[in-house]
Amino acid sequence: MADVINVSVNLEAFSQAISAIQALRSSVSRVFDCLKDGMRNKETLEGREKAFIAHFQDNLHSVNRDLNELERLSNLVGKPSENHPLHNSGLLSLDPVQDKTPLYSQLLQAYKWSNKLQYHAGLASGLLNQQSLKRSANQMGVSAKRRPKAQPTTLVLPPQYVDDVISRIDRMFPEMSIHLSRPNGTSAMLLVTLGKVLKVIVVMRSLFIDRTIVKGYNENVYTEDGKLDIWSKSNYQVFQKVTDHATTALLHYQLPQMPDVVVRSFMTWLRSYIKLFQAPCQRCGKFLQDGLPPTWRDFRTLEAFHDTCRQ
Amino acid sequence: MGVTCVSQMPVAEGKSVQQTVELLTRKLEMLGAEKQGTFCVDCETYHTAASTLGSQGQTGKLMYVMHNSEYPLSCFALFENGPCLIADTNFDVLMVKLKGFFQSAKASKIETRGTRYQYCDFLVKVGTVTMGPSARGISVEVEYGPCVVASDCWSLLLEFLQSFLGSHTPGAPAVFGNRHDAVYGPADTMVQYMELFNKIRKQQQVPVAGIR
Repeated sequence: MADVINVSVNLEAFSQAISAIQALRSSVSRVFDCLKDGMRNKETLEGREKAFIAHFQDNLHSVNRDLNELERLSNLVGKPSENHPLHNSGLLSLDPVQDKTPLYSQLLQAYKWSNKLQYHAGLASGLLNQQSLKRSANQMGVSAKRRPKAQPTTLVLPPQYVDDVISRIDRMFPEMSIHLSRPNGTSAMLLVTLGKVLKVIVVMRSLFIDRTIVKGYNENVYTEDGKLDIWSKSNYQVFQKVTDHATTALLHYQLPQMPDVVVRSFMTWLRSYIKLFQAPCQRCGKFLQDGLPPTWRDFRTLEAFHDTCRQ
Repeated sequence: MGVTCVSQMPVAEGKSVQQTVELLTRKLEMLGAEKQGTFCVDCETYHTAASTLGSQGQTGKLMYVMHNSEYPLSCFALFENGPCLIADTNFDVLMVKLKGFFQSAKASKIETRGTRYQYCDFLVKVGTVTMGPSARGISVEVEYGPCVVASDCWSLLLEFLQSFLGSHTPGAPAVFGNRHDAVYGPADTMVQYMELFNKIRKQQQVPVAGIR
């Protein structure tokens, strides 16, 4: 209600101000009319001058009065729109039918929301920049011009080369068998079977490892239509944990200039899981902790630890 | 199907079978295991019919026909120390037709029933072994799902068994030693149950402590 009263007062002041402007204009034009007419015919020159000056003075007085009036009124009207933080869109709040068009409240909410979003995005980008996990060659600080050039060297490798690297790794580890397939274009997918312990699905992009999923030896790794199932996770908690650790390993082993070394290091690390159920934890000496065997393998020493026993 | 160890839990001194089972399940629940329905394993004994035996006083081999609720569509037929046949449940009907060769031993049916517990990747089944109307003992089955080679995870299984069986932890089942590095299968579990049932059957003359 306060708004409505305020508006009506303002409107009255506006109409008064408009009429004051009109009065001012007419009084000013009277001044010029008087000047234009000059001294009217009076008997004496002196009388003519006196009458003219008196008339002119009257006119100027009325101009002065009208101007004062206008100034007073203009103070009353004020500057409502420019004080508003939303500038002209703030005028939407003057809309008296709030219920039908809740535009203004929606606008305010959107404004708050976008402000908050900007704030959080700023914080997030600050944090992420501190801990860069980029696996590609272009690190932070590399100029934008060099970026497109850095990528093709490691991402576009002939499939034949990828096959060679994988088959060499396959021969390196007798207890590990790697089956390579390319169901979707040039990207390779590996099915790694490690002894009779586990199976790993590795999704590659060129020689970069994009995704790994670890499943049990007796679990199904194919979908109903016979393709490798790269999405569903293992039914066993052990292998879900190992999948998490393998993903960590992907981020740990990174050497953008030599992607084949990365794949080899990852496979060497993966091979240490051949003793997943046989190796006790190197710290606590036990097999089980919360029902899980030591699922973590140190990246350098390949020793077995429970997830909570590693440092 | 993972590696499974079936063992017998002796009835606690001064307690009934039921009380010992409750004690055990409470221990499991304290450990954090979750109840997951029930299970049942039964076994029926058949012996070769006299007419088919040779004249030289040859003793007939015993055959055991078993069912396991974990494999509801299958039926297991095994000889002691012999091969194990896994067939569809229709096999029971076939046995009726084979009356001339295999005869069902009277009142030989023995079974174990109980609750199934899940703890992480372990599946624990604590059952009461009954023969006819009387409870004769307690069976404890522990399966570790992720592993398929018995020798790989025996130490791990042992540690788990110790955590709730304490001093009654069994030694490695005989089937574990049979084939090194072989993939463990459902038949191996059934052989263990058969051995357990035979052991309990032999105890039957001895009055079981605490049955009231």
